[in-house]
Amino acid sequence: MKEENRPDPDALLAEMQRDEARVKQGRLFIFLGMCPGVGKTYAMLQAGRQRTKEGVDVLVGIVETHGRHETASLLEGMRVLPRKQLEHRSFMLEEFDIDAVLQQRPELVLVDELAHTNAPGSRHAKRYQDVLELIDSGIDVYTTLNVQHIESQVDIVRQISGVAIQETVPDSILDRAHEIQLIDLSVEKLLERMADGKVYLGERAEQAVSGFFKEGNLTALRELALRFTAERVDRDLEDIRRAKRVSSAWKTNARLMVGVGPSPYAESLIRWTRRAATRLNCPWLVVWVEGARVLTPIEQDRLTRSLGLARKLGGEVVSVTGENISEALLQVARERNVSQIVVGKPEKAGRWSKSLADALIVGSGDIDVCVVRPLATADKARNIVPLQDAVPDSIIGEYSWAIVALFAIASVCWGLVAFTGYMFVALVFLLAVVLAALRFSRGPVLTMATLSALCWNYFFIPPIFTFHISKPEDWIMFGMFFIVALSMGSLTSRLRMREVAERRRLRQTDALLRVTQSAALAAEPAKGLAEALRTINELLNANTALVVREQDRSLPKSAHKASSFQPSPKEWGVVAWSYENKQCAGRYTDTLPESAASWFPLQTATATMGVLGVQFEDASSLDFVTRQMIEAFALQIALVLEKEHFIQAVSHAEMLSQSEKLHRTLLDSVSHELKTPIAVITAALEGMQVQQKSPYLDEITTATQRLQRVVDSLLQMTQLESDVLKPRPDWCDVRDVITAAQHAVGAPLDTHAVKLRLADDFPLLKLDHALLTQAVANILHNAAIYTPAGTAIDISATMRDQQLHLVIRDHGPGLPEGAERRVFEKFYRVQGSPAGGTGLGLAIARGFVQAQGGEITARNHPDGGTEFVIEMNRVSTFVPPPK
Amino acid sequence: MTALIIDDEIQIRRLLRMALESKGYTVRDAENGQVGLQEAVFLKPDVILLDLGLPDMDGVEVLKRLREWSSVPVLILSVRDQEAVKLAAFDAGADDYVSKPFSTAELIARLTAIQRRQGAHDAANLQLGPLVLDPVHHEASLNGQPLKLTPTEYAMLAQLVRHAGKVVTLKQLLRAVWGPQAEEQSHYLRVYANHLRKKLEGSTLEIKNEPGIGYRLEEM
Repeated sequence: MKEENRPDPDALLAEMQRDEARVKQGRLFIFLGMCPGVGKTYAMLQAGRQRTKEGVDVLVGIVETHGRHETASLLEGMRVLPRKQLEHRSFMLEEFDIDAVLQQRPELVLVDELAHTNAPGSRHAKRYQDVLELIDSGIDVYTTLNVQHIESQVDIVRQISGVAIQETVPDSILDRAHEIQLIDLSVEKLLERMADGKVYLGERAEQAVSGFFKEGNLTALRELALRFTAERVDRDLEDIRRAKRVSSAWKTNARLMVGVGPSPYAESLIRWTRRAATRLNCPWLVVWVEGARVLTPIEQDRLTRSLGLARKLGGEVVSVTGENISEALLQVARERNVSQIVVGKPEKAGRWSKSLADALIVGSGDIDVCVVRPLATADKARNIVPLQDAVPDSIIGEYSWAIVALFAIASVCWGLVAFTGYMFVALVFLLAVVLAALRFSRGPVLTMATLSALCWNYFFIPPIFTFHISKPEDWIMFGMFFIVALSMGSLTSRLRMREVAERRRLRQTDALLRVTQSAALAAEPAKGLAEALRTINELLNANTALVVREQDRSLPKSAHKASSFQPSPKEWGVVAWSYENKQCAGRYTDTLPESAASWFPLQTATATMGVLGVQFEDASSLDFVTRQMIEAFALQIALVLEKEHFIQAVSHAEMLSQSEKLHRTLLDSVSHELKTPIAVITAALEGMQVQQKSPYLDEITTATQRLQRVVDSLLQMTQLESDVLKPRPDWCDVRDVITAAQHAVGAPLDTHAVKLRLADDFPLLKLDHALLTQAVANILHNAAIYTPAGTAIDISATMRDQQLHLVIRDHGPGLPEGAERRVFEKFYRVQGSPAGGTGLGLAIARGFVQAQGGEITARNHPDGGTEFVIEMNRVSTFVPPPK
Repeated sequence: MTALIIDDEIQIRRLLRMALESKGYTVRDAENGQVGLQEAVFLKPDVILLDLGLPDMDGVEVLKRLREWSSVPVLILSVRDQEAVKLAAFDAGADDYVSKPFSTAELIARLTAIQRRQGAHDAANLQLGPLVLDPVHHEASLNGQPLKLTPTEYAMLAQLVRHAGKVVTLKQLLRAVWGPQAEEQSHYLRVYANHLRKKLEGSTLEIKNEPGIGYRLEEM
């Protein structure tokens, strides 16, 4: 008994394979090497050829042979995709054509150089994004990668070789890899190959040889590649062990945290933390403490990039405000149960002020603090903003105002100094500095403080018109004035900046609240959304467009009417991409950055409700805080839309069930009223026939049977048309279906032999037994009536790719020309039909088959007779395990 | 023998009374569920014919209340012929189901079958015609010859023999053979039913499939 309890392993396996096919994800194979020239492309092509031999549909997406004929010869006989031509500033660029691959849908595609940066105008900024899209759409990908291009290894490579790597791939893509194959080659062999000219070194071959390909470098890179692969194997092993134990998600209760600012060191700290977290197998967060200081555009850009990197590497980004960075960091660390804080080593020890590391160590308590030496990231050329751009016009205005005000005060005081004495002048200057600090920013205020001190000294402290001060008390006074003016100016402006920052944050929170309220609480959803979008427009100084999905989850033809701009036809492609891939796309993102607006999916935990587009009127970049805010808006709007959707769905379902109930009650009572009298007549007739035989009684019996058939057909047709029919699929045997159908037809079939042809191992099918039986019965009944007595009826069933193909063929006269379709129409009867039919039988048969998602067709068989074919798609099957 | 008819249609009641009385039954009838239940208590009938569409309460409800204290054979007689309705009636404890319009001869035959089973129930050995089951040793014999059965096949056959002539729903079978967690595994049941059919081939016993409802073991 116990043995039988276990599910059959073969059946289970088959079930699993079926599940797998349903949600098929492509697999990613990475050929990893330590540097160019180890033979990754060669190995990839060999593997591709092998798969072709195995019968897999392989397409060479893009492969760089760099003129090596061994590699080129491997390409012979393989299907190679033509490259896409892109025009960029009158250059013609060649690029990998992802759309062609998605259209051709090969089983496996080879894509060389994963870290490649795509030509401008491509869909994605990076090739690895193309690859991700391919595997998401279910295509297997082979690709090649050098270890120095892995994001988290960039710093180490720079330390080893002194070369900064520009093209990188995030570590997360390696986590998606199904298999990583290391292509290893000893350094001696590689140098040999290089000497033979078998290694492509790019245009700057000379420089490359002297700089990068030194024996020491290569050995270190080789170790890096080997160690990276080993670490991954180790982690896979750990995963397997964990899966067996099924314990908590993380091996340790460790949690790393790294504090970052707009410094050039942030990226390397983030990478260090990611590496440590991977080794510890624990989660990690990146915290940015927003202080009062306004960031310069360069800093803003750096911060955005650092936090973007953290996200890309899989870290959680937390942003908080606080004047004291160490306190803010420690607070986050305690709230989030962080076990270890990572902080950069200060460049020089400050003599007076404590460094951030010191402050953290003092306040950390039982949290470990890890001080690491960070490396500065060189700002990429495109990101360095010229200084004059960095200074907005308003600052220049403030400077001129400060200086003009200073000289105005000085000239007024010049007239008054005779009456008041020069001490009074000092107080007037101080007042001016404090007032200026309330309005202007730090730079102008400090300049004004310095200038006023000098001005006071030169024009008012005797001896005047010199910077010389004769009296020692005047020296002290001047010193005190200088310090007071500077600190007053600095303190006040700091206070003011903090207030500005606070106000900005308040405005953001307020806007978020207003968006939520207006969208969620509005009586009319459309008005609420319009209000919400207006709020966003005002806050961001931008135009927004909202694209809400239709009921059937497709995108609409035009944006929601609350939108303040309509996407151009070209822009719709970006909208669709963002919606389908559930990722941001468009301007300021890595995907289709050429477009005019940025698009954010309206994503909730369960569904994507549409896309929110933001078109900025003036912005050169999208900083992290703004982006986070837009994402928050998108989430709020998505939640509101989802709520609307649910409300509609519920009311629709209620309405349906009400009308269904009504229909069913009506149908039940009508069928009761029609069937009861027939039942009485039938029973009474039977009673009479027991007592006496009479030809009159036989006539009544025949008529009653006919009446009963008509009533049954009409009731079934009504059931079909009022939509109360709910198929209830259950496992059934086709043999049982045919037997039951034969039984249901009864007497008319007595003069026909029904032959069933069915494979011995024909599986069980999950279908609505009653509906299918009735459909088959109606066809059989038809066949029995319309064909001469004594002719056979053949039934055969086959199953292919989850499609049932059930054929019922008679050997009668066949259908008249053009009746193949019409036979399934209601009340249609072929001319010359015997009396006593309603013309509903086949219409009902079709209805019952269609109710289960199938189709039924009729045609004349070439060898005579009519052939009815019932086809059902996606039928679950169960093959009984062999005994 | 007494039969109780619970049906709101007077013509049906009269006709059934005539048919049953001619077969030697003493017949009482009731026009609604309440009266029917009272009659069942006082009369202690040997068999009950129950309509599902009663004016005061649903027939399935009557059946459920009846089953709280009685195991009297009940035959459902109704115009409703949807599988779901039949299944609900069987799950509530109906012994058989005949839909209107009906053939009187078939009705009487079914009535006799469900009453006969009631009698054969208490035997130490489960027996049906040529088939004998030994519940102690889990062994079976057919026409005196030992019948080789796997434990699962034995459990299923025993369940069918215990309720011979009556429909055993898929749910009841699954529960009896594999336990309550197996109620969704009806495809396994169909496989075993086919195995059993092959083993019983050539005897007078037949396992009949009631589409969508369950199985019935009948002696021809």
